[in-house]
Order: sequence, then structure tokens, then C-alpha cells
Amino acid sequence: MTTPAKPLLCLVLLASAWLVAAPLSSQEPAAVTPIIPYPTETRTLANGLTVIVVPMPSDGLVAYWTIVRTGSRDEYEPGRSGFAHFFEHMMFRGTQRYPSEVYQRILTTMGADANAFTTDDLTAYHIGLGVADLERVMELESDRFQNLSYAEGAFQTEAGAVYGEYRKSRSEPDFALYERLMGTAFERHPYGHTTLGYENDIAAMPKLYEYSKQFFRRYYRPDNAVVLVVGDVTPANIFTLVEKHYAGWRPGYEAPQIPVEPEQTAERRFDMTFDGQTLPLLWVSYKLPVYDAADRVRVAADLFADLAFGETSEAYRRLVLDEQVVEDLDASASYNRDPGLLDITARIKDPAKVDYVLGVIDATIKQFRDAPPDAKRLADLQKRLRYGFLMGLQTPDAVASRVAYFVARNGNLSGLDRTYATYAAVTPEDVHAAAEQYLRVERRTVGVLRPRQ
Amino acid sequence: MKPRSRIALAALAAIVAGCSRDSPPPAAPAAEDSTVVLMNVAADPTISLSVQFAVGSQNDPPGKEGLAFLTGQMLSDAATESRSLDEILAALYPLAASYGIRVDVERSTFTGRVHRDNLDAYLELFRDALLHPKFAEDDFERVRNDAVNALENTLRYSSDEELGKAALRELVFRGTPYAHPTDGTVAGLKAITLAEVREFYRQHYTRATMQLGLGGGFDTALVARVEAALAALPEGSAAAAPTITPAAIEGRSALLIDKPGADSSISFGFPVAVHRGERDFYALWVANSWLGEHRNSASHLFNVIRETRGLNYGDYSYIEAFPEGGQRNMPPVNVPRRTQLFEVWIRTLPNNQAPFALRAALRELKLLVDNGMTAEQFELTRTFLKKYSLHYAETTAARLGYAVDDGFYRLDGEGHLARFRRTMDELSVEEVNAAIKRYWQYDDLKIAIVTGDAAAMKTLLASDGPTPIEYSNPMPEAIVAEDREIAAFPLALAAERIEVVPVDEAFER
Repeated sequence: MTTPAKPLLCLVLLASAWLVAAPLSSQEPAAVTPIIPYPTETRTLANGLTVIVVPMPSDGLVAYWTIVRTGSRDEYEPGRSGFAHFFEHMMFRGTQRYPSEVYQRILTTMGADANAFTTDDLTAYHIGLGVADLERVMELESDRFQNLSYAEGAFQTEAGAVYGEYRKSRSEPDFALYERLMGTAFERHPYGHTTLGYENDIAAMPKLYEYSKQFFRRYYRPDNAVVLVVGDVTPANIFTLVEKHYAGWRPGYEAPQIPVEPEQTAERRFDMTFDGQTLPLLWVSYKLPVYDAADRVRVAADLFADLAFGETSEAYRRLVLDEQVVEDLDASASYNRDPGLLDITARIKDPAKVDYVLGVIDATIKQFRDAPPDAKRLADLQKRLRYGFLMGLQTPDAVASRVAYFVARNGNLSGLDRTYATYAAVTPEDVHAAAEQYLRVERRTVGVLRPRQ
Repeated sequence: MKPRSRIALAALAAIVAGCSRDSPPPAAPAAEDSTVVLMNVAADPTISLSVQFAVGSQNDPPGKEGLAFLTGQMLSDAATESRSLDEILAALYPLAASYGIRVDVERSTFTGRVHRDNLDAYLELFRDALLHPKFAEDDFERVRNDAVNALENTLRYSSDEELGKAALRELVFRGTPYAHPTDGTVAGLKAITLAEVREFYRQHYTRATMQLGLGGGFDTALVARVEAALAALPEGSAAAAPTITPAAIEGRSALLIDKPGADSSISFGFPVAVHRGERDFYALWVANSWLGEHRNSASHLFNVIRETRGLNYGDYSYIEAFPEGGQRNMPPVNVPRRTQLFEVWIRTLPNNQAPFALRAALRELKLLVDNGMTAEQFELTRTFLKKYSLHYAETTAARLGYAVDDGFYRLDGEGHLARFRRTMDELSVEEVNAAIKRYWQYDDLKIAIVTGDAAAMKTLLASDGPTPIEYSNPMPEAIVAEDREIAAFPLALAAERIEVVPVDEAFER
């Protein structure tokens, strides 16, 4: 059960993993051309469960995803950080009808590729299977999402596996810097801790058996979930089967009381050391407003990140190729459900050049704040985004992973389609406006990690 | 948004041990014939290209470990005679396309993929990169610096699990050209000159060593077009692969990587002389899948160590090279090797639980070797594999990769994946258990552990005393009883057979 903690110093592809769209703006624009080249269909059951079907040719393979719109964002209570991820593990501990070993045996017989992951904003359970086994999988999945049942001993044992996952991550300097950066940038919002959670909270998880049942009751409800089916399937058949297996799932989602992050009014900086050898790492993060797929300036923030610091940027050519003072330079903007960050990261070869690299980053931002970017570079990026998306639709699972984050937020594909329509509509002036509005020193956090010696 | 593929630190090593049972692997991996491997998928709007050369890290001269890797990087991540690297990046950028190279022990495979709308522009860049590298000094310094850093910082200090696996392979294949990481060693990389890279390219990137593959929605005219483009490569001649005599493994020995502050990451194993295409290979795959299918909760080791006892995140086993196991769920392509390693991977866990987990895995191996699989386990596992193997190659590019690798294993006619599925229907539990007896044992093996307290670990392991663990929750009596057996399972590791290496010296030369 993987937890793709935010890719560190290798920030994400636009429109891939980590994309969590915010609600469409209040003034809902007209429908846009779908970006997915398949006839998708969406239905909502009476209990609130959303079902999306993407039929595509796939040689009999199907991706069956259940997306719970709860992630580490929802861990607002003290001492509960990391619980959404921990609970993801518990979802494999079985029901009265299908105890975990029976569930596992059935999936093994199917040759299914089953796993799950947790992010800031969602928890996704995904199964790759042959189409002939689809109804059986629905039977299993609908059962565990309604009737999960586990003993306290199994709960405590699983906590050990979660701690193991934390242990394998903490040997990475990138993770150490990311953990500190988020904690510094967010003072109140749960984005301040990673998906894995604070180590003290992970250590205390075995004591939270009763809370885990409460967590399930609050969040694992049909009105907080989406079933996404992609592959060699017929939408009408899927809707019939979903109705049969999921109609009895009782609604009752309780929205978490997530605190609002106060406006940041002054730059925050920190230096930290790492017990081990590493190149110095620099992480600069700017606060963004919530993602709005219809807002050209907000969408342009991510295009800015690539134009300013991507591999065809002047900063990249200078720092990575010509002067060779930086090994990796990356930037991307958050698509999170709540206001997130625009991150710029650099792995610096010469410890004496950290300030110099920060200076180049500052100068690059100033350039974009002073004037719009070159129109041809923007047009090249817009073409790249379109082809990058289309080339990514190789398998049912790839399609599902590309759309899952938008689906989780909107309950349909409109956020995805709107985002790509807006990508195409962004002008150089929009990119300039994004830099001017968001890339302000008082909105940023700067972290530097160096080896201890 | 990376238009280029960066090949992460790959694992190392293979040894020559030509003792296959049914059809011998190539005694020397000479060039395949010039037949193009075609994987036409009309519905796929993209086109995948693969150009594989019979050269890899086994061809690194002594003291120049990393030469094959740097040569590959100078094709995939550097300027050509007519384009600077930033011009190449700018040209690839609107295409959302990339090319890259995987330099493995036996083969170097240059691959790319593009939407067919953009084929013409892309082909020119792909061809230019492969045929006309500039070998500029500034590119060379950059890619070498990156490679050294990948060893000094990333491998040693950013991923204890990959470090443990690399250490095992170094220990098993020590003294052979297969022992060092495919990326090289720190001293080897620093000793390489640009002139040596240029000469290595001239010698090994030739038509005589090349295997071309095309996949996706291409039309037939593309085949001749690509072949004509690559005809500009020199004819060359196939180099003989190094002959290696592996050191016999007698008893158990261990290498502890001393990394202060670290938890424990464990790998152990030994070479297995069985290959794709041989019936025993598929029989052994069934046994291995039951014991430790990668990243799958059907794995028995996963169930014993993680699911039942909650000691770590996962526990798996392998009979083929599986580089970057922490980052991928399905097997990689283009890592064909003449000799493979049977390997058990125990993911990171606290130092005080490491001896118990090691004992648990060794004990499970012993039980499997001594008792074999039951008929029920066998039936369940082969049923699983018949369907699960579809996930090994879901994309056109992956299927093309398998088909190209079929050439290495001399699998004419019926490729590995088709053979795999057919053989699942034909095997019997008796065949599987015979293969286990033939290729696996538990007395003669090597163990690598990255640990935060190597001195104490060495003392503990050498003492062979009981290493019980405690749980925060009560365990069923059956588990408690089994734990007593595990905690006292013989390690048979004498102190003089346990070597300790400071992490800063790992892969230095």
C-alpha cells in the first residue's frame, strides 16, 4: 500500500499525480470539449455515490478504483496525523463475510493487481483485473467499504507496518526537508504534516483502535466516495452492477472541521542539517490561492513554474547546463483542494552557492513579474500539455490515475476538462499576472538542508 | 516535466555460468541478427522505438567502471554535433516526447516514444542523438558529476534499501566485472576520460551489435525509414562477452554496511543458473511468486513478516534482476542477464528486530526447499500468475521491451510472455518442487545488511543466540510458538565471515 508522499526535488508533471482540482468557480462557465478521447459517463446513486465509467479498448483489462475523498488534509485533530494513511492499511483487514485471508485469496485467484495510496486530499484503492472478474470485485469492494471489521490485535499489528513505511522514507534527505518545509509553511492547516504523519503520532497509533472505527463511520461513506471504472466495459452494465452492490451503502459523511490557514504576511526561512552525506537542497514555496480550473491566472501559476524553471527555461540552462551549479531544478504549482503551494526546488552541487542559486531564482521571478513571457514558449508548453496528456492514456490504470484527483474533487470530469481548456486559453499576460500576484516574498517559505559535517 | 528519461541507479552484476538445462543461454551475448522486432498496435496513437546494443557495464575496463554508463549518458543527455542540449530540449518540449537509455550489465537500450502526429520531428532528433553525439567536454563533466553524486550521496545516503541490494550483488559477484553498479564506482568514474568515452562508443555502438524494435501505430514504411537512418552506424563487429568464473559460495557470509543512525535493510541470496525459455525457469517462477511476488500481498514472506507480525513494510524475493524495486510495481524490461540472482529483500525495520526478520526469511526458505509447495499452493499460484502476468506488460512499450529481450535469450518464435502463460498450464507441482530442489538451497548464501550499529549487529549475529522480539499487542499462541522457533533458527554466521564496511567506502572502487 503505497503512500506517494509528494515527489521530492522531482516535482510533478503538470496534470499528473498530485492534481486535485478545486470546485469550479461560482460562475460556472459553459461546458468545454472533453480532453479524454473516450465516451465517458457519470451517474450518482441515491445514496450519493458517484460512478464514472471510461470505456476504452484495453485487451480485456479493467481498472477499478474506489476513491475516498479523505486524505491527510482531513487530519485536523491533534495527535491524529497520518491516520488517513494508516486507515488505508486497515481497509485490507477484511470483513465478517470476507476475512482478509479470504479477500486476499479471491484476488490472488483473479491475478488482480491490487493496491492503494493516500495523498493530501484523497485515499484511492485500485485494482487491475480482467473484465470477467469485474462483478466479483464489485461484490468484494462494496462489502469492505460497508462492512469493514477487524480486531484490535490486527489493528496494532498493522501499525507496525505503517511505522516501517515511515522508517524507509526518513533515510531520504528530500523527505526530511519536505517534512520540515510543510510544517513551516502551514501553521494551522493539516497540510503542515506529511501524509505519513508525525513520528510521535505514528508511534501512538496502536492505541487508537476506537478512534479508527469513528474514522470509518465519519469518512467512508458513499457521499464521500467515487467509483471509477476504466477499460473494456459498457457504462450501462456498470451502472446496473453498481446499483446492485452499492445501493445499500448508507450515507452520512461528516465533513471535517479543517482550520483555515491564516494569510501569510512575512517570509519564513529555516536551515536544517541532515545526518548523512547529501548535496545541499533548496526549497522555496509560495502560497497560492485555492485552485480554480476556470481562473486563467490561477491555472497560469503552474505554467509559470514550467516556463520559469523547467528544462527549457533560461534558469535551467544557466544553472544546470552552463554553470553546472545545480544538479536538479524543478518547479510546480499545487492543484490541492485547499490553498496550497508553488514549489521551486534545487539540488545544489557547491555548498557555497546556495545563496547564489536563490539569487538566480529571485531574478527569474522578477523577470516574470516585470513582463509577460515569450508567446512561442507558452504555445510550445500548451502543445506539450495536450500531447503529454494524450500520450499518458496508455492503459486503463494510467487513465484512472490521470483523472482520479479531479474526479475526487468535482465528482465528475468537468474539472479536468476545464483545466485543459484553460491551459489552452492562458495568455502571456495571464502568466505575468500569476507571477505578479502570487510570487511575493511575504508569501514564501525558504528551506535549506545541508549535511551535518 | 522531464523530456528526458533519467535512468536511476540500476543494480549490478551477473555472472557467466553456462549450465542451463534445456537450452543454453548465449555463451557470449553476440549480436543478434538484423531482423527488426515489430510490435504493431494500430489502435495505439503513439510509436515506441527501441535500439538495443550488445554492450553494458560488463564491458567496463578494470579501473574504468562506469564507462558504459557515461557513454550512454553522452547520447541521451548531451549535445549532438548539430544541436546543443538546450536546443534539443526545446525541440522535444512541444512534442511531449523524450528519449533515454538504460545501460545494464549486458545490454544498453536506447528508447523513445512519441505521438504519431509528431513522428517526423521526433525521428530526426532520435536519429541525431544516436548517430551524431558531440561528446562535448562540458556535457561530459556534468553527466560524470551527476553519476559520482548518485553513488556518493544518493546510493549511500538516500535509500538504504537500494544500498543493501547493491551491496548484496557486490558481495556475491565480487572479483568479477559484474560486481560493480551499472553506474560504475566512484574511482572508476573519476578515472574515465572523454577520449575513452568516444572510443567506447565507436567500438560498441555498431550495426553488428544492434537490435532494432518498433512498436505502436506505425505504418510499414517506417521500418525501412528507421533502418535506413541507422544504416549510418558503422558495421563493426560483435565483441566477445567477458568470461567469468564465479566464486563458489560455501556456507553463509555477510557484509554489514555501517551507516550510523540507520535502521536495518536486508538482502540475501545466491546465483541461479536458469533462464527465460527454460521450462525450469517457469517452474521456479511459480515457487518464487508464492514465496515473494514483488509488491504483492500474495507473497508468503510478506504475510509472515509484515502481515502477521507487522515488522516492516514488505518482504519479497526474485529470480531475475529487478532494479529500482522500491519505485516500480512490475518487472522492468531491458535488463537481460546470463546469470541471475535468487534474492530475498527484507525492507527496512528496527535494528533490534533485524536478526529475527532475517531468521524468519531463512526459515521460510528452508521450509520451502525441504517440503516443497503443496498441491493447493501450486494451483493457487499458477492460477494467479496466468492472469497476473498480463500486468507485467500492459503497454506497447513494455511488450516491445520484452520482445527485444527475447532476442538476448534466443527465444525464436514463441516469446517469453507467451511461453510463460503456456507453461503455467503445463506445469505440475512435482516439476516445481524438483526445480526448487535443483536451484535453491539455504546453506550457501550471502547476506548484506545496512545497519546503524554494525559492531553490535556483528556480535549478535556471530553469537547465534536467540533474538526474540516483543509485540505491543498479545499474539495468538500459534504465532508465539512459531516465534520461539524463528528466534532460535541457526544463522551459522561465524564472526570471521562477517565483514563490516563503512558506508563512505561502499562502491568507492
